[in-house]
Amino acid sequence: MITRRTLAGLALALAFPHGSPHAWAQTAQPRAGGKLVWAVETEPTTLNPQLNGQDKTKLYLRNVYESLLARTADGGYVPWLATSHQVSGDGTAYTFTLRDDVTFSDGRRLDADAVVLNFTRLKDPAYSGGISVGPVARLAQARALDAHTVEFKLDRLYAPFLDFAASLEILSPGAYGSPQLKSGGPDIAGTGPFILVRYARGQEIRFVRNPAYRWVPATAGHQGPAYLEEVTYRFLPESSVRTGALTSGQVDVIEGVSGNDAGLFKGSTQFSYATALNTGTPYSLFWNTTYGPTQEPAVRRALNAAIDVDAVLKAVYRGQRTRAWGITSPIDPQFYDRSIEGSIAFDPQRANRLLDEAGWAARDAAGFRTKDGKRLSVEVVQAQATVRDQRDVLLQALQAQARQNAGIDLTIAYVDTGTYADRRASGRFGAIANSNTPTDAIDIENHYLPLDRGGALNYSRAAAPELLAWLQEAAGTLDPKARFDLYARLQRFAITDQAYALPLYEPEDQVAASTAVHGIGFRPFKQLPESAHDIWIEPRT
Amino acid sequence: MSVTLALPARARQRRTPFPHAAALFLLVVAIGTAWPQVLTAYDPIAADPLQAQLPPSAVHWFGTDQLGRDVFARVVYGARYSMLIGVSAVGIAAVSGTLLGLAAGLLRGLADETISRVLDVVSSFPDLLLVLVLISFTGPGTSNLIVALGAASIPRFARVVRAQTFVVAGSGFVEQARTFGLHRATLVTRHILPHAAARVPILATIGLGSAIISAAGLSFLGMGPPRPTPEWGSMLAEGRNYLRVAWWISVWPGLVITLTVLSVNALGRRWQAAFDGRQA
Repeated sequence: MITRRTLAGLALALAFPHGSPHAWAQTAQPRAGGKLVWAVETEPTTLNPQLNGQDKTKLYLRNVYESLLARTADGGYVPWLATSHQVSGDGTAYTFTLRDDVTFSDGRRLDADAVVLNFTRLKDPAYSGGISVGPVARLAQARALDAHTVEFKLDRLYAPFLDFAASLEILSPGAYGSPQLKSGGPDIAGTGPFILVRYARGQEIRFVRNPAYRWVPATAGHQGPAYLEEVTYRFLPESSVRTGALTSGQVDVIEGVSGNDAGLFKGSTQFSYATALNTGTPYSLFWNTTYGPTQEPAVRRALNAAIDVDAVLKAVYRGQRTRAWGITSPIDPQFYDRSIEGSIAFDPQRANRLLDEAGWAARDAAGFRTKDGKRLSVEVVQAQATVRDQRDVLLQALQAQARQNAGIDLTIAYVDTGTYADRRASGRFGAIANSNTPTDAIDIENHYLPLDRGGALNYSRAAAPELLAWLQEAAGTLDPKARFDLYARLQRFAITDQAYALPLYEPEDQVAASTAVHGIGFRPFKQLPESAHDIWIEPRT
Repeated sequence: MSVTLALPARARQRRTPFPHAAALFLLVVAIGTAWPQVLTAYDPIAADPLQAQLPPSAVHWFGTDQLGRDVFARVVYGARYSMLIGVSAVGIAAVSGTLLGLAAGLLRGLADETISRVLDVVSSFPDLLLVLVLISFTGPGTSNLIVALGAASIPRFARVVRAQTFVVAGSGFVEQARTFGLHRATLVTRHILPHAAARVPILATIGLGSAIISAAGLSFLGMGPPRPTPEWGSMLAEGRNYLRVAWWISVWPGLVITLTVLSVNALGRRWQAAFDGRQA
């Protein structure tokens, strides 16, 4: 027993290195069997994990789709679908040796050809769209050296490549012939501990245990197949409804707990509650530098100074969220430069002075600033599908701040996914708010590389030559100190100097569960909720 | 909205509770609609994040909402939107319904058949569903909401007016007027329309209640004026995630919607009872 406890304690220490979220008590013996119902906030735009950019869908997609290597809490790599990997001395060739006993749930074997197919297809814009210009674009050649060895060759050193290659979710080769490929679904087989059996839009997504599963990484809590027989994730988009569903016993677990409801679960004897900050780019409002009034740096700086982010977060989240300042997460162990903290001051006088000087001095009947008869209006375009975590309330609070403190008309347009894609592609928007969770500076590249050079999420459409130069230099070295300095310089330039974005808060996961549920955890390093592999429930009395 | 005609007028009059309270409440709502600044000094869209979710107090009578806006001010200013949507929608329905009903009743034959069958089709859809369908074509917004709500309640008015037109047009005094050689237009405007449409104002008053409810319901679903407009239905929607910790954000607008609709209905029914009594 002592050994088991020590191991559990070690696992927890690995899982929560940065601050310690509440941990679930691990006293009783794990038990196989049972069905779990988990209420989640976010409906997927696609179930294909390679194409889905919604971080909140990963917690259930990870039940099915796995990658070559797993991460440890300190950022290291451990075997998963690959037993080992080598990087050539010049950092341009990566060799992965695959396990020889892994099968997809459609019966196909995981071999080198399957992995090569996954990487080469991802380069095809017809399949992956904007993702094709991301990290995978650095891949010059992927080939199978033998049945279980894959080699990736790059044209030149690209430091984040291992992070990307190790974490790409591997689909069954059969998926590429399926009409479901882009939308994802039960036809797209993976190797994970669960098999996706049913997706009902607006209702639920259901998985059953994969009895053949034997290849869990060493970071997991136990070896062999998952404990649960079946796990169902029910889509309940409203936080109060999820809270009610858990407290009334209709579901066993919920994620996405509002600031107001956190107190109900914290310190409760009936429920467990855990949170973990996400990695990657904080939730930030990116000002479009190529369209409308935010083309003027003075307007962007004024916006950043006009909004009292601390007060707004306190009001909307009741003190349950962490203010963000920079271009990456405060828990990023590699590249977060803490000196940025406090560099954006709430200073309405400065905001108004900047706008007066920039010629936005007149006011219209509604009290908004104007220049040459045109209102100082910035349209925040938000896809309805990605509204979560009270962000609609947050945006409304920012809107009120901009109006009241500086006479800026911040309008909010909620649009469907198609319209959102159009507006993004055409650049006709004032601002877009976003966060994302990639690590090893891929999050920084996503937001600050030029649009056609891998800046898939470059919502500020920033194209200053310094950005590209710094990012290329940083990706071209394996020296972590040199990379840190370059990203720190970029952070100062982008946030303090150019005001491309207003960082708001660091997204996090909140999970509340009935105390009968055990084994819920967060992924080491990446911090998103782990798959349901280790979860088990006490028999209901 | 069904019109009950079974009870004797006097009995129904007695059953209408608190007519004076209802009238007084509607007077306050009317003041809120016309001069909201008389009732509150707060700006309904001014947010103060440091004052969010405060319970009702002497400073904020109805408390403050999730953004620190004064709920009382929002309820007061909200009267304008909810009443505007309700009254305009009923106005559209009453005018178009009366004209269609009159036309059907007078022209008879093919015209009557056509109008009546179209009305049958319209009324075969539940009101709210029809409005949702119309808005999905036109998009959300105050004016689209008004038109959709108005269109959905046209049959209610047209049916009554058509039936009354038949009765009036066949009655002795109209026959007599016709034999005196009165011009057809004069006959319609002076004799038929006033009698055929006598019940329309009462129907409209009772319909106003359901129009306000529907408008609030649709705004709740995001079909109404955009945020941060203080519309009662959208206030309810915004407050629903806070019911457990800050009941006042949605309870007050909910209460005001309820009281307004009850008051309008109470007065409408009282008026109807008085009308029926007079006719009897």
